[in-house]
Amino acid sequence: MKLLIIEDEKSLNDAIVEYLSEDGHVCEAVYTYTDAIEKIEMYNYDSIVVDINLPDGSGLDIIKRVKKSGKSMGIVIISARNSLENKIEGLETGADNYLTKPFHLAELNAHLKSILRRISFNGSEQIVFNELKLLPGEHSVFVHDTEVNLTRKEYELLVFFISNKNKVITKSGLAEHLWGDYMDMADSYDFIYTHIKNLRNKLLKEGCADYIKTVYGVGYKFEISESN
Amino acid sequence: MKLLTKTSLNYLSVTLFVFMFGTIAFYYLLRNQVNQNINIELEKRKSSIINQLLSAHSSVVTPPNQNEKVVISLLNEMNAPKLNFYDTVFYEPSQRKYVPFRQLGFVADFNHTQYYIQIYKSLEETDNLIVRIFLIMTILVFLIIIALLITVRHTSLKAWNVFYDTIDKINKYDINSHDAFALKQSEVKEFEELNTVLSAMTDRIKHDYSNMKEYTENASHELQTPLAIINMKLELLLQSRNLDDKQLKALVEAYEATNRLSKLNKTLLLLAKIENRQFPESGIINPVSIIQSQLDSFEDMIDAKHIKASVVFEEEISLNMNPYLAEILFANLIKNGIRHNIQGGELVIKTGNKTITVSNSGNELKADTVSIFERFHKNSASPESLGLGLAIVKKICDIYKFNVNYFYENNLHHFSIDFGKGI
Repeated sequence: MKLLIIEDEKSLNDAIVEYLSEDGHVCEAVYTYTDAIEKIEMYNYDSIVVDINLPDGSGLDIIKRVKKSGKSMGIVIISARNSLENKIEGLETGADNYLTKPFHLAELNAHLKSILRRISFNGSEQIVFNELKLLPGEHSVFVHDTEVNLTRKEYELLVFFISNKNKVITKSGLAEHLWGDYMDMADSYDFIYTHIKNLRNKLLKEGCADYIKTVYGVGYKFEISESN
Repeated sequence: MKLLTKTSLNYLSVTLFVFMFGTIAFYYLLRNQVNQNINIELEKRKSSIINQLLSAHSSVVTPPNQNEKVVISLLNEMNAPKLNFYDTVFYEPSQRKYVPFRQLGFVADFNHTQYYIQIYKSLEETDNLIVRIFLIMTILVFLIIIALLITVRHTSLKAWNVFYDTIDKINKYDINSHDAFALKQSEVKEFEELNTVLSAMTDRIKHDYSNMKEYTENASHELQTPLAIINMKLELLLQSRNLDDKQLKALVEAYEATNRLSKLNKTLLLLAKIENRQFPESGIINPVSIIQSQLDSFEDMIDAKHIKASVVFEEEISLNMNPYLAEILFANLIKNGIRHNIQGGELVIKTGNKTITVSNSGNELKADTVSIFERFHKNSASPESLGLGLAIVKKICDIYKFNVNYFYENNLHHFSIDFGKGI
């Protein structure tokens, strides 16, 4: 996926680029409104990640520009402003998602993947992964073409894992993905453990390889070794 | 007591006091003046009688007019003749009443005989005159007092109106409203000065307040960015493959602490925003559906503690409030009810009588329950909680004038919100 990261804070931009590049995306970084506009006029991107507050302009204007140009790009806003009005304004301008800083890189990656799937397959796609097959439109999962009944949370976990293959995903990242802001992290770790245990058992029972590895004290990793 | 009432009462009592003594003094002064006049007349009469007697050589004197009597008697008949002026009364048969007279008694030597002569002058007419003058004066003064009182009250009321208007506007002053703080013009210098000072003060407060708001928002904004950097760099570091367990442990702890910090920052910002009433838009919300969806999202927590959650909706309630705040309000109450619950405990949510009560099992609190809604009030049993949930509940209830109460009954903690007029 070709991405443009528009964020004036250099170290943030670098971190995002590094994480997403490791996942196989082609990332370009710009730090100003002017540069962003120039890039958008000249090239095509699958998705852009845009900060609202830029030193020489507003990220919202960049989104309006993209929408006006008729180019089909996924748009994710990243902003430190977390009020409801800001979110609504951002989404009404045409963004697909609104992430409040600080966010987990895994979360951003999952959002970008889901946008990509929506753009390229119009929602009727399937995610095939070795013996695993997911139909996001129907929220169903197959192992060797046998359907596995997953709860909503288990399904969400699986999609999140597949979006962030070979990455260490922290427990707090998972908790926020599943429950949002309301759940306090410490409360939720036990539930994450339970959900993952159940998910893993259900997949193993149908003969799926054990992809979900526990990274002790940190979180989990959906690991595909090179031999796979 | 109003200042105007107080001054009016003071004015009235002082004027009535002065009026009372003034009229008494006035009466005696008048009386005295009249008596002096009569005395002069009687003196004139005395000398005319003496002259007449001397010239006429007879006991006949000019017949007295109606208001006058002259009595001449031999001195030896009287043991102690009353000399000089004094007041007396005579029975007037024609009028069938006693009539006051002023009398002058003197002794005249006439043909070597001493006569005691008394001249009486009726005071009836002068008395009537005095009474009339006195009455007229009294009524006049009384009318002046009333007129003055009315004028003073009227002008004062007009002047004080501005003051009451100012008080009313201060009372209704809302720092968040964007209406100008316009006070009525006053002709009274003091009130005009008060209004000028007040306007300047509110302007200053408003300015400082908006600075504060900007500051809170900016501070949190500025904090989020470095927090985001720390967070993301740590997340990247966690992806490295060549970390030993010790390094990994240190990284994770730093990562968790940053997460906690950013959550705290977000929550404090939310509290500040609620306090600053930065959630002006409102809509009709149905708490029942919010509660249902919140219970769904806390399903894991409820299941993990084997909590028996029950919902009793006795009454349909709809609230006019900000939907986002409504969600936060009920989410915090339910989360509190789950977090401080015991294994296999109960969670009961009940609506009825304009009240929603969230009750949960648990041991009675040892600490005082007054501070339960304060910031960072923590239960030692749940050290991981921020201690801000109930503070947020209280703040939201405060701005909508809902009444939130805590009580412990039948081994259950009850948090009840009385919506009162908020419905």
